Amino acid sequence: MSQEEKIKESLVNKFNYLSDSIKIVRPRRISIEVSLENFEQVFAYLAKELQFGHLCTITGLDEPEKLGFIYHLAADSGILINLRTYAPKNNPVIKTVTSYFPGAEIYERELVDLFGATVTGLPVGNRYPLTDDWPTEEHPLRKDWKPKPAKEGEVDKNA
Amino acid sequence: MGLVKKIVTWARIKSPWILHFNTGACNACDIEIIAALTPRYDLERFGVVLKGTPRHADVLVCSGPVTKQIEDRLRRIYEQMPEPKFVVAVGACACSGGVTDGCYNVASGIDKVIPVSAYIPGCPASPKAIIDGVVKLLASLEEKEEVKK
Amino acid sequence: MHNAPEFKIPIGPQHPALKEPEGFSVALKGEKILGVDIRLGYNHRGIEKAAEERTYIQDIYLLERVCGICSHSHSTCFIQAVEEIAGLAVPSRALYIRTIIGELERIHSHLLWLGVAGHEIGFDTLLMYSWRDREVVMDILASITGNRVNYGMNTIGGVRRDINPEEKQEILNGLKILEERTKYYIEIATQETTIIKRLSGVGVLSREDVLRLDAVGPTARASGVKRDIRADDPYAAYGELSFDVITDDHCDVYGRTVVRVKELMESYKIIRQALEKLPDGPLVVKAPRKIPIGEAISRYEAPRGEDVHYVRSNGTEKPDRVKVRAPTLANVQAVKHMLKDRFLADMPIVIAAIDPCFSCTDRMVHLKEQDCGSDKVINWPSLHTYSIEWHKERGIDFTQLNKKLQERFTR
Repeated sequence: MSQEEKIKESLVNKFNYLSDSIKIVRPRRISIEVSLENFEQVFAYLAKELQFGHLCTITGLDEPEKLGFIYHLAADSGILINLRTYAPKNNPVIKTVTSYFPGAEIYERELVDLFGATVTGLPVGNRYPLTDDWPTEEHPLRKDWKPKPAKEGEVDKNA
Repeated sequence: MGLVKKIVTWARIKSPWILHFNTGACNACDIEIIAALTPRYDLERFGVVLKGTPRHADVLVCSGPVTKQIEDRLRRIYEQMPEPKFVVAVGACACSGGVTDGCYNVASGIDKVIPVSAYIPGCPASPKAIIDGVVKLLASLEEKEEVKK
Repeated sequence: MHNAPEFKIPIGPQHPALKEPEGFSVALKGEKILGVDIRLGYNHRGIEKAAEERTYIQDIYLLERVCGICSHSHSTCFIQAVEEIAGLAVPSRALYIRTIIGELERIHSHLLWLGVAGHEIGFDTLLMYSWRDREVVMDILASITGNRVNYGMNTIGGVRRDINPEEKQEILNGLKILEERTKYYIEIATQETTIIKRLSGVGVLSREDVLRLDAVGPTARASGVKRDIRADDPYAAYGELSFDVITDDHCDVYGRTVVRVKELMESYKIIRQALEKLPDGPLVVKAPRKIPIGEAISRYEAPRGEDVHYVRSNGTEKPDRVKVRAPTLANVQAVKHMLKDRFLADMPIVIAAIDPCFSCTDRMVHLKEQDCGSDKVINWPSLHTYSIEWHKERGIDFTQLNKKLQERFTR
């Protein structure tokens, strides 16, 4: 049994609701989909018990009706797990994972700024990556957001 | 007063003090600017001196398309430079936005924010192109002085 | 020139009361840093959004320009994800060429870093000479690809240009020169007491810290953590080549220096192997304009560490989503930790040692003195000068070493 299959077996034994949601895409790539309610227990199990000790990044996705979040976790073996969950667009609230990975802070701030997610438990801090005066209801990576046309007449006429 | 100005301009042409500022570029142009100062290209043989503060700079050498984060600081730096002052836009992004033209967080070019005296294209602008551009700017200043005489 | 605890550096042009995003906000007690807040976003150009509005081919050129030092890294990392979604079998010759360009990029990046590090500690001759050596690599890259930076080598399904026998020889000749000079840099790094003294015990990050804070690249490897995507999750031709993952146990800036100079030697080794084993065959496999629906995540060991690209396709010629996580972002927490309880005078080299985006160090530094409540903003060049003067007063002087290096290289 390959390492990927062992990981899948371990997950299904622990959380049998995952039995249809785990896909071994190719060697070193596993894809898992989990509901928001079950997210933390699966995440904790992967990070702690299964020793997926590296969080590459968190990808935000804008889908009709919902926001998707993919947590890319990697182990020393080189195996990478794409753990995906969803939150409804009218209430996109997720919990921070900074207690497991302090580095997640900056990835979560990106989700707040660019997708409009709410991340509970995020420590107080600066926005990233947008400016402080960027309107908080404008989220550039949402599909329906379009950049405004370039501002006119900003050249210094005293040249 | 006229004599002092002549001396100052002469000093500027002979040894321009430049301030290098990145307005959100990918760094390629910035590295080529610094490379222009290293022995192989040796911009310093033209008397070009890199300065750390706008108050002493004659020429502002800018890279990048001007992100929103940096726009105000760019204006402030320009305002703090004493007259006469010149701005050089280095690289495609600084000239007109480059690959980032149309992106939401950029002004798409230095001249959207402050006036630019010389444009050096390239992605990145090579050290040779940068030297060529700076020398042309200096030559045009000398020309202006000749015309006035 | 310097007096503790009052911090006497001229205030920078901006007054802290004016709204200005500082790059660094430092809580100071005398000369010691209590904590640092790092604000990023200066380079935020909206590239991920732009990537959705352009075709995959246009995106290769866009993503190359995320970083002007790691351009091939980003380009390759992206295209690997696209090729995986499309199920393309990229020809072996192309994979080897990608590897060769990638290692040449690593060489130019590490030599650049060596110069920058030298500059930050006052060893300016090192900047002049390492950047002169770097030109050897730039010439090779310009010769093979047509540009010094932003090579445009990749296309979907392979590479756009070949390496012919003359170019192969040019590379080998260049490597010979570089190897000799690198051996001397390793000698300096490991034997010159001024360097050892200056860099040891600075920017300390224990092995446990690396794992907890999840650092990547030479920063992690200098604390004994064997993380290198080329070995852990092989891509391009790395699975067929033999090389060592360089680690060091010093856990400080000194260790990060040693790792990088030794990695240069590994890069020469990898390139020679790849040139020798360079398989015949096509440079590219035909790729569709419209990439079938799917997603993939690609990892790449850029000179600064792990680069990650996630791509999702929707069956059209434009991607649905492109996510880029450059290596420096993964090291932010580690940097904050490394600066805590350390001297302000060490801040420039500690930050330089994670090899950040060059322009990350062009930020304003906001200093908040806890004892006397003073609030100052200084620019980076002032911090740089302060750092060098502070260390000079403690016996770290590079005047002799600058002279020595000059003599050695003008022989």
